[in-house]
Amino acid sequence: MKDTPLANCERDFLLKAFEEKKRLDGRQTYDYRKIKITFGTDYGCCFVDLGKTRVMAQVSCELVAPKDNRPNEGILFFNIELSPMASPVFEQGRQSELSVKLNRQLERCLRNSKCIDTESLCVVSGEKVWQIRVDVHTLNHDGNLMDAASIAAITALCHFRRPDVAIQGDDVTVYGPEERDPIPLSIYHMPISVSFSFFQQGTYLLVDPCEREERVMDGLLMIAMNKHREICSIQSSGGIMLLRDQVMRCSKIASVKVSEITDLISKALENDKKARKAGSKCGFAESIPQERITALKMEGTPVDVEGVTERASYVVQKAGTPPQTVPSPVVPLPGVGQVGEGIHSTWGMEEEEEENNISGDEEDKVIQMEVDKEDSKRGDVVEISDSEEEEVVILNPETPDKTPKSKPPSSHQKVAAKTKKKQKK
Amino acid sequence: MTQSSCDALHFFRGGGMMEVCGSSTVSLREFGCEQSLLSRPDGSASFTQGDTSVLAGVYGPAEVKVSKEIYDRATLEVLVQPKVGLPSVRERLQEQCVRETCEASLLLSLHPRSSLTLILQVLHDDGSLLSCFLNAACMALMDAGLPMSCLFCAVTCAIDTDGQITTDPTAAQEKESRALMTFAIDSTERKVLMSSTKGSFSVSELQQCIAVSQKASEKIFQFYRDSVRRRYSKIL
Amino acid sequence: MFSRLKDKVGQVQLPGDEFSWEAEDTIPLTDPVRPERVVCGPGLRRSGDRLLVCKSGVLRHKQPNVFWIDSQQRRYVPAKGETVIGIVTAKSGDIFKVDVGGSEAASLSYLAFEGATKRNRPNVQVGDLVFAQFIVANKDMEPELTCIDSSGRANGMGVFGAGGLVFTVSLGLVRRLLSPLSEIRSDLDQLFPCELVVGMNGRLWVRSPSIQQTLIVANLLQSCDSMTAPQRRELFRRVQQGAL
Repeated sequence: MKDTPLANCERDFLLKAFEEKKRLDGRQTYDYRKIKITFGTDYGCCFVDLGKTRVMAQVSCELVAPKDNRPNEGILFFNIELSPMASPVFEQGRQSELSVKLNRQLERCLRNSKCIDTESLCVVSGEKVWQIRVDVHTLNHDGNLMDAASIAAITALCHFRRPDVAIQGDDVTVYGPEERDPIPLSIYHMPISVSFSFFQQGTYLLVDPCEREERVMDGLLMIAMNKHREICSIQSSGGIMLLRDQVMRCSKIASVKVSEITDLISKALENDKKARKAGSKCGFAESIPQERITALKMEGTPVDVEGVTERASYVVQKAGTPPQTVPSPVVPLPGVGQVGEGIHSTWGMEEEEEENNISGDEEDKVIQMEVDKEDSKRGDVVEISDSEEEEVVILNPETPDKTPKSKPPSSHQKVAAKTKKKQKK
Repeated sequence: MTQSSCDALHFFRGGGMMEVCGSSTVSLREFGCEQSLLSRPDGSASFTQGDTSVLAGVYGPAEVKVSKEIYDRATLEVLVQPKVGLPSVRERLQEQCVRETCEASLLLSLHPRSSLTLILQVLHDDGSLLSCFLNAACMALMDAGLPMSCLFCAVTCAIDTDGQITTDPTAAQEKESRALMTFAIDSTERKVLMSSTKGSFSVSELQQCIAVSQKASEKIFQFYRDSVRRRYSKIL
Repeated sequence: MFSRLKDKVGQVQLPGDEFSWEAEDTIPLTDPVRPERVVCGPGLRRSGDRLLVCKSGVLRHKQPNVFWIDSQQRRYVPAKGETVIGIVTAKSGDIFKVDVGGSEAASLSYLAFEGATKRNRPNVQVGDLVFAQFIVANKDMEPELTCIDSSGRANGMGVFGAGGLVFTVSLGLVRRLLSPLSEIRSDLDQLFPCELVVGMNGRLWVRSPSIQQTLIVANLLQSCDSMTAPQRRELFRRVQQGAL
């Protein structure tokens, strides 16, 4: 699906506004939008709202064989899924340029910066290590997906707990959360990406661009940094020439922003830990704002089941006994079938059609069908279905009198099969 | 032959293990719903049942790809996004269940040659996921203002080894159950729009579960009405 | 039917709700009365002799007998006669393709401008905004726009001049802005003198002397989307005191 095109007047207006140091939502040049971090019910599930942009990260783990060249290290896997929910231009299962760019940047930000101790993820050297997988889903795209994704990913990694394992000889036992408390990952530092967009060939600079600003921008600079002011990755795209001063200035701004965001993440993690310890409920269901007019919650309610049994037995009774089963077709000669001409022909199709429109009224038909199925299972046909030679036989084994005489081999076969069956038993 | 089929029916009717008794386990977990929570989609809703939560977004009626264009009605596409990894066969099956239910209730012929996209994102799975998908889908479609002939809701029923019916089961209850059924029910005549079952059960159990679901659907439809009423309670 | 509908005015309706004929609605034989006619607007649908709701929202009524469902929808569906703000996306031969936010791009002939002839073509570039009216809009055909009225005059329509900002609001707010006695409009008038163009497709265009003012107006209107009248007045009062 195509996105709404950008009108010329919007572009002109935005650029003019930047000249006056004004932004669409009234922010200052270096302001971030409001960041909100919430956690899901599971460990390692984190939602990040950056203004209207919203992403979700989920961390999971499994035991796998390590890579050959690194037998003592766990594996980290990152995936940013540009879900079509976030924007109509995103298509499912298609690797767009943007998704490659974001995935690569996240990998460089979190894996190549060695912020996670991968050696502690080794269970049996050369045989079993933990693979930690981070899935980031975009839920709503209003610009600056990268920063939101990096905050979500690192917060989710900090929040995640992997199951405890014990090694006895060659046996690896994985303990569930009831048996042993799960273990957090060991994280050395928290790299966070900060995006800067440039306009008019680098004359103007903005932090945390929103969607419309991203569409107008000439270039983008993404700096990933931790709170110790160490740059973990830096990437410039869009093909603008940046001066040394500009990069230096951006890195300074980034260091301020990163320390603010890191504090926010720590606070969020702390709050969640307290809430979990206190045993109060947490998770997405709890994060729905109750005061909003668009939200509503209902307590758990019992369902009145009076008369349910009666109704069920009534329906079953109304269905009554199933009709006669399909009459077997008369085969005039071996290998000849006949349709019409006074012969009542019934095809399997009917049953399928009935299956399709299961609804209140047709319940009785459904029952018949079910009974038929049960019935056929009780016949001989199913029992011998495991042997190959009987494929030709038996449309209706219970009525041998109707089987034409010209077909003795089949009945012989049947008998043979039966005897064989008995022998097997 | 006839005799034996009658026997079969009698067997199931009279079977002692199949008796289901209505008990206090028949209840729905806490419900929650938020509409219009995302800015980009034309309609969005989150739906929670206990801890199970699903986020749904709808785009449309929008431009359709030529290859998917249908000349006399809108093309409905349902995408289920799992929480971990890429969509697999299981998600495809869920997509199909949701799509067929939505197609039955939407008036697709009012928007020919256009596309409707419904995206469902799992936020947390704690049982009854398929019914949560369907409920979230209905709220999102309603939020998008798409023409519908009726609303629909879904109820999951689990039958445990003792023959007890549990509605809206948690993941743990689902695991212990002998059979699991999900029914989508329409709002006008309380008919079954879609059913998805797993495990073995008798005819009378199926009927009981449908009857229980129909009873439970009343609560869910009332909840829909309450949340829409609350939303329009502000005089603008 | 009529009384049944009237009872429900102002109440929230959900898809599938039904208004059925009542016994008293049948025409008495003795008294030759013309049956009441009911005009159904968006969200109501006739099926046989039943009247069904197909969108969720509040039932509204206008004298004498017009009923419709007022819903908070975001996606625009073209309707004949409505004026919209479109963005020109392509020029192909004799027509412009215009994005109006519907399911299909609308077409706009280059002759459908005031004073346009084969020689004297209007100056329209890709990315320009146009204010135009639907002359063809139904579900089965490509929508068609025009920038002139039936007498060949522009009547306010045409290509937008330079400057100004276009932004999107809900369709409900647009309808409220366009209602003849719109309070929002009069409140805004007192606050800032500005040019405002309202498209039925949820797009608004604002131009005022300074960029600052344009931004304030745009943000105010966007926040009006979900505000009651007292809330809005309070906000406008604060802006008046603070900003100027």
